Amino acid sequence: MPTRPSPQLARRGFLALAGISMAGALAACAGQGTAAHGGTKHIRLSTWNIPTDITSYQAIADEFVATHPGTSVAVEVTTGQFHQWFITRLAADLAPDIIRITPQQIGRYAANGSLVDISGQVPADYRADYTDPFWAIGARNDGVYGVFQHTDNFITYYNRTVMERIGVTPPTAVTDAWTWDEFLDVAREVKQVTGKYAFGYGWSGPETAYRWLPFVYQNSGAFLGEDGATPSMDTPEAIGALEFGRKWYAEGLATTGNLSKTGGGDVARNLFMTGQIGMMLNNPEPMAQLDEEMPDDWGTAPMVRNTGEASDLGGNALAVTKSSRYPELAAELVVMITSRANVERFCHDGNWLPARKSLDAADIGYATHSDTMQQFIDQGATIPLSMVKAESGQYFASLNAVFADYLDLCLLGQLSPEDAADQMMGAMRSVTAN
Amino acid sequence: MHPATTRPPTGGLRAGRATRSRRGRFVPYVFIGPAGLLFLAFSLVPIVIAVLLSLRDSSTSIGDGEWIGGGNFVSMGSDPLIVTALRNTLVFTIGTVPTSMAIGLALAVALNRPLPGRGVFRALFFVPMVAAGVVVGVVMSWIFNGDYGVVNNLLEALGLGRSPWLTAPGWAMATLVIVVVWTRIGFCMVIYLGALQSVPAELKEAAAIDGASRWARFRTITWPLLRPTTSILTILNVVFSLQAFDVIYVMTGGGPGFSTTVLIQYVFRSAFIDARMGYAAALGLVLVAILLVFTLLRQRADRKAEEVL
Repeated sequence: MPTRPSPQLARRGFLALAGISMAGALAACAGQGTAAHGGTKHIRLSTWNIPTDITSYQAIADEFVATHPGTSVAVEVTTGQFHQWFITRLAADLAPDIIRITPQQIGRYAANGSLVDISGQVPADYRADYTDPFWAIGARNDGVYGVFQHTDNFITYYNRTVMERIGVTPPTAVTDAWTWDEFLDVAREVKQVTGKYAFGYGWSGPETAYRWLPFVYQNSGAFLGEDGATPSMDTPEAIGALEFGRKWYAEGLATTGNLSKTGGGDVARNLFMTGQIGMMLNNPEPMAQLDEEMPDDWGTAPMVRNTGEASDLGGNALAVTKSSRYPELAAELVVMITSRANVERFCHDGNWLPARKSLDAADIGYATHSDTMQQFIDQGATIPLSMVKAESGQYFASLNAVFADYLDLCLLGQLSPEDAADQMMGAMRSVTAN
Repeated sequence: MHPATTRPPTGGLRAGRATRSRRGRFVPYVFIGPAGLLFLAFSLVPIVIAVLLSLRDSSTSIGDGEWIGGGNFVSMGSDPLIVTALRNTLVFTIGTVPTSMAIGLALAVALNRPLPGRGVFRALFFVPMVAAGVVVGVVMSWIFNGDYGVVNNLLEALGLGRSPWLTAPGWAMATLVIVVVWTRIGFCMVIYLGALQSVPAELKEAAAIDGASRWARFRTITWPLLRPTTSILTILNVVFSLQAFDVIYVMTGGGPGFSTTVLIQYVFRSAFIDARMGYAAALGLVLVAILLVFTLLRQRADRKAEEVL
């Protein structure tokens, strides 16, 4: 007959179990760093949560593992707010070996030693296939801290019916792009047709305020000086750009619901699809949805220009973090992913624009809208080096927050362009001084 | 001969009891040990680290940056955004706490009597409290969107015109207050409902027999007996308001301009956008100090009120 365990034994058993559970929990809390699993060198690559891209990275990673016996690669997802996620993982020395990072995010980490110089592993011929601006995203005076993999930028989307109604034929080549005055003239007519507003701008939250910076450069101004660190938003050119932006809202050509801080998200896209605006300045992202919602009723023109040309700097670089136990191996994987063949494949599968200058839409063979994608690729050439240096500089995350604050106040008319520029300069100086 | 065999039986029993008694003394500690360890790891140690961090000019973690003593606290004096953030925090707290408690109490009183579908109503009012702040923020951004939001479309249909719910400085704060009050009234209602169950019915019946009106019964019997609940709800709601981050971050990002930038948001910005961990830790401690002072004042006021009663 089975006997019941004595109460004391049961209690001991319970305490032992609790102890084991506690130890297990603490062990689990230790996290999963880069480690050798039974002699296997394990690499972690973290990317944004885009299913197609995760599949593409994993496919390249599998090829890497096949040619590197004794290695394994896991593709992970970067979650939540990037800086919060990355800073805390770096502090715990648990950052992934390879991080997919935007040009606006890379500067701080390249400057504070969180990223590894991989110049020794990057083949010499890589540099030749990049324009100066795109190479400058990862390159610094003291090394190469990332390789730009793919890009995107802003062009002008328009509603075909609206354009037909106002009798305007939008330009197709970058060299024929609308100037600011021409654009505003068209916008005023578009507003008459929609009965609401004329156009929208593709911000997606306060952290993307920088997407408005091209207007400063289109007016021959600059966000930061030649040294990439001295604020220069008080020049007549920069103030002129702010005046141009203020006109959007003062004349009701754009809605105050479409600002970097408020609205954000997909406001421009939603307004465009619901016919409340007839134009939007945006990146390639809305194309698939436009095909579904208003097929054949949308077209694209180049980004606007003024005394100069510029467009938004989008895209991602790949960098190796200081948490990596195998930085050389991780750098090898970065080199493999950013090879010409793999960039071509990655851009084809994910509908991205290539960062390498030898690739065009025909090489990549996009499934749809090859002409529009080529338009984006051509527009990418207008991104100025000085803007790239400013946006990928070490202070940019903080400077961008300051820019969002004062741009908002100026566009809403809470501050005049001069006052906004003046107060923005003060806040920018306090950032760079810190 | 084995020593145990020479010991008288009663002595052996006494020794056994003593051992068990000694063991018994440790058992409670063993049971509270896991909870204590968790408290140590996830509360006490982080608090100590936050204090140490606030004394450093640190950009990433505790070991980083030079020791500057009270430098971070001194810097706050010359930071113009602090005043704005504190003022916005005060407005937001005053806007959310009394309103959500008053509506919560009114609903609790209404649902504290036999009503058809009472359980369903209670659950419906509580649902917003359970919903994640980010989800609430995204949904409300749509609802209050000035151009294609449900609220403005409804107002326009009624001929009342559209309002800049999220895009004009004054309106944005009011909209956030409305949204947060909506999420919070269910919580206040449930707590007040629990407290209302403990108000003795015979007291109210006696007052009714004496001719006291419904309002008089509420004012002189129910409300004073709800005082402890009101006190704890006030403290909890103030804590919630000081910690309100997700809804504001999603709906306005602190804008337009700085009109909805509250202190907790500024802590986040200092830590993760500006990478000034030391300064952010100092700001966090200021937030804790505000809360501590408020709680002490509230408790003192309650004690005085109880003495008067």
